[in-house]
Amino acid sequence: MTHATTPDSAVDPTTVDPSGAGPARSAPDRPARRSTLVTRTWAQRQAKVGVVLTALIVLIAVIGPLLLPWATGYTATGFADRPFQDTGLFGTDNLGRDVLSRFLAGGTSLLLYSVLATALGLFLGMLFGMVAAYIGGWLDALIMRSNDVLLAIPQLVFALLAITVLGPQPWVLVAVIAITHAPRIARVTRAATLDVIGEDYIRAAEMYAVPRRRILFREVLPNITGPLAVEAGLRLTYSIGAIASLSFLGLGMQPPAADWGLMINENRIALSLQPWGVMLPVLAIAVLTIGTNLIADSIARASASANVGEK
Amino acid sequence: MGLGLSAILAACGSTAAPAEQFDLEGPPTTGGTVRVGFVGGGASDTLDGANATNLGDIARAVNVYSTLLSFDDDYVLQPMLATSVTPNEDATVWTVVLRDGVSFSDGRPLRPEDVVASFERIVDPEDPKSGAASLAHLQEIVPVDGRTIEFRLATSDTALDESLGQYTSIIVPEDFDAAHPVGTGPFTVESFTPGQSTELRRNPHYWGEDGPYLDTVSLLNFNDTDALINALLSNQVDAVAQIPSALTEVIGADERIRILDSETGMYLPFTMRVDRAPFDDERVRQAFRLAVDREGMIEQVLSGKGTLGNDMYAVFDPSYPDELPQRAQDIAEAKRLLAEAGHPDGLEVELVTAPIQSGVVEAAQVFAEQAAEAGITVSINRMDLTAYWTDYLEYDFSQTFWYTRNFLAQSNAAVMPGAPFNETHWEDEEFTALVEEARTVVDDAARGELIARAQEILYDRGGYLLWGFANQVDAYQGYLGGFVENRTGIPLSGFRLDRVWIGEAA
Repeated sequence: MTHATTPDSAVDPTTVDPSGAGPARSAPDRPARRSTLVTRTWAQRQAKVGVVLTALIVLIAVIGPLLLPWATGYTATGFADRPFQDTGLFGTDNLGRDVLSRFLAGGTSLLLYSVLATALGLFLGMLFGMVAAYIGGWLDALIMRSNDVLLAIPQLVFALLAITVLGPQPWVLVAVIAITHAPRIARVTRAATLDVIGEDYIRAAEMYAVPRRRILFREVLPNITGPLAVEAGLRLTYSIGAIASLSFLGLGMQPPAADWGLMINENRIALSLQPWGVMLPVLAIAVLTIGTNLIADSIARASASANVGEK
Repeated sequence: MGLGLSAILAACGSTAAPAEQFDLEGPPTTGGTVRVGFVGGGASDTLDGANATNLGDIARAVNVYSTLLSFDDDYVLQPMLATSVTPNEDATVWTVVLRDGVSFSDGRPLRPEDVVASFERIVDPEDPKSGAASLAHLQEIVPVDGRTIEFRLATSDTALDESLGQYTSIIVPEDFDAAHPVGTGPFTVESFTPGQSTELRRNPHYWGEDGPYLDTVSLLNFNDTDALINALLSNQVDAVAQIPSALTEVIGADERIRILDSETGMYLPFTMRVDRAPFDDERVRQAFRLAVDREGMIEQVLSGKGTLGNDMYAVFDPSYPDELPQRAQDIAEAKRLLAEAGHPDGLEVELVTAPIQSGVVEAAQVFAEQAAEAGITVSINRMDLTAYWTDYLEYDFSQTFWYTRNFLAQSNAAVMPGAPFNETHWEDEEFTALVEEARTVVDDAARGELIARAQEILYDRGGYLLWGFANQVDAYQGYLGGFVENRTGIPLSGFRLDRVWIGEAA
């Protein structure tokens, strides 16, 4: 019975009929069905630009390490020449290592940890946000006030503190960034969930004594994906910035690892002499964050237009 | 002084022609102001030269005060306020004869009582100054007559003269007050703002025959190297102390700027703790010393601005054993030694590092790469400074840095029983006996023999992997004369601004 009230799993709030009607209604509604969040997002030009930019950097970060030393002649840590020389395509870095080699090898960690931190933050924030909204009462108050406390601490300060205490290990980096994201995501989730739980299909599910966990994940979650997708995109952008900043400050990836944030720090003294050691990673991080931001922005518009359409 | 000047002329004559020609042939012209920039300093900056720690403090100490002896550009002790410093036959009593006609900057003459008061101030148990540790054996200082003072020691010390030559062993009047400093140096303090700037003015009562040539000197603190170099390139300062060696070429490419590249005895060694596995086995230590490519280290870490190390310190000590073969990378032999020591499949070690001095973290990375060839897997644990110093002296494999010192002074600080900074936990009976004997032998040749034998022990089984000595690299505007290469490791020719003068456009 509950299947009837479950919205189409194709992540589409618009197909959800507020009246809670059965599946028979959705079959003839073809044109509406094609207008999903994904299609509306992709329809925007800035989304395409964002995807291309992001894909470019992701490609470099993923394929790059596999090309060494075949493409450049050097490994990421092997020495090419003396420090800050012009040899090779982009010269050498602060210890005379090939900048291009280190650039190709240096994106994977940033990308991987950013995605992991965002995913973990999304999971935690979603869980707490939905529970707070759905259960309500004192638990809602407890979760949301704890949230406020966490939100009061600046993200980078919190991360610096935690990493100084626990040491600069990858898992600490991921966990800390995730924890700073969670309260922001929880807020958005809670607000979105509150909109949904008043709906009749939720009440119907409750009447059928569907377990709460099932209601949250099968009824609520699919209907709040729009705002969550926007938030996920935004958080990914912030994750990239935060992890690169921490590496730059010496609290992220540790030498001799090749890492974009670390490269900027190591090479900045020679910015006027040998700019590529700084410019390549800076450009990559900038393009990546612009790309992810454009995508998030497009999702936000798509999701907003869907909401407008509903009303 | 005369020697110094001719060296200046030689140095200046050989450099490339600047964009605008300046007459630096001499004789030095008098007058003008020179602005000297350096990174560092803060609220704890001091005018008390006996407590000098950072670059600004040292510049003030050297220029406002004088010491009894001082190290010259070749790191050899020369008379300053003392015309002679001689030990008795077992170096327990040293007799100091003061120079005639020396006045303090307020016009009062220098008396033996002032010297006594100066050293009592340094070893004051209530408030010991930087030099107190090396004068711990000082029992009493007695004025013998109007020009002579005796330093009486509890134990023999043939290197007391080196302690007297440290820039912190300043001579001040009996009623010295650091807030209104009076010294015998070439300049006096006109104004002082900690962490920002110091204005020095020529001392009208200066005892030296040559210099100072400048009317005033500004010492300017900078927050970071970028700002410092930009200030030099835009002619907002005339000379800068300590530039990153990697930037030497780009700064030197500006034809208005001269680079001062001085060999020093400063080293950034790896420290292997000899009382714990795996480094308690001397074969492992030797294997590490054979795994390193010393020339590569100097190229990568110091941009070629350095000299080769042979696992022994005090390279400017007259007794430094030059004849021992220069150790070089030998991967096969390193592997053989490791296998013999029970590590046939190589060895994994953690290297604790921190940015304690520029080049240290870089050296760790280069070594990790080089050692991999010999089957040594080095995992780098980079700590922040506070955490590093908390457990400093506890690490099995780490790094440190030391400035130029002669053998006995360095050994007392780092490898003798009770040494405050025994990073390698070195305790070797044969070595200790040799050093203790050397402390009592006044005859230079006989003492040199003992020191050379002690050095050979370090070469054969010591805990330091000493791959090289770093140069001191400074830069200054082409119109300045008087800067010469200097081995002390103190920037800008040992901060001897009394020798600096401004050349006129030719």
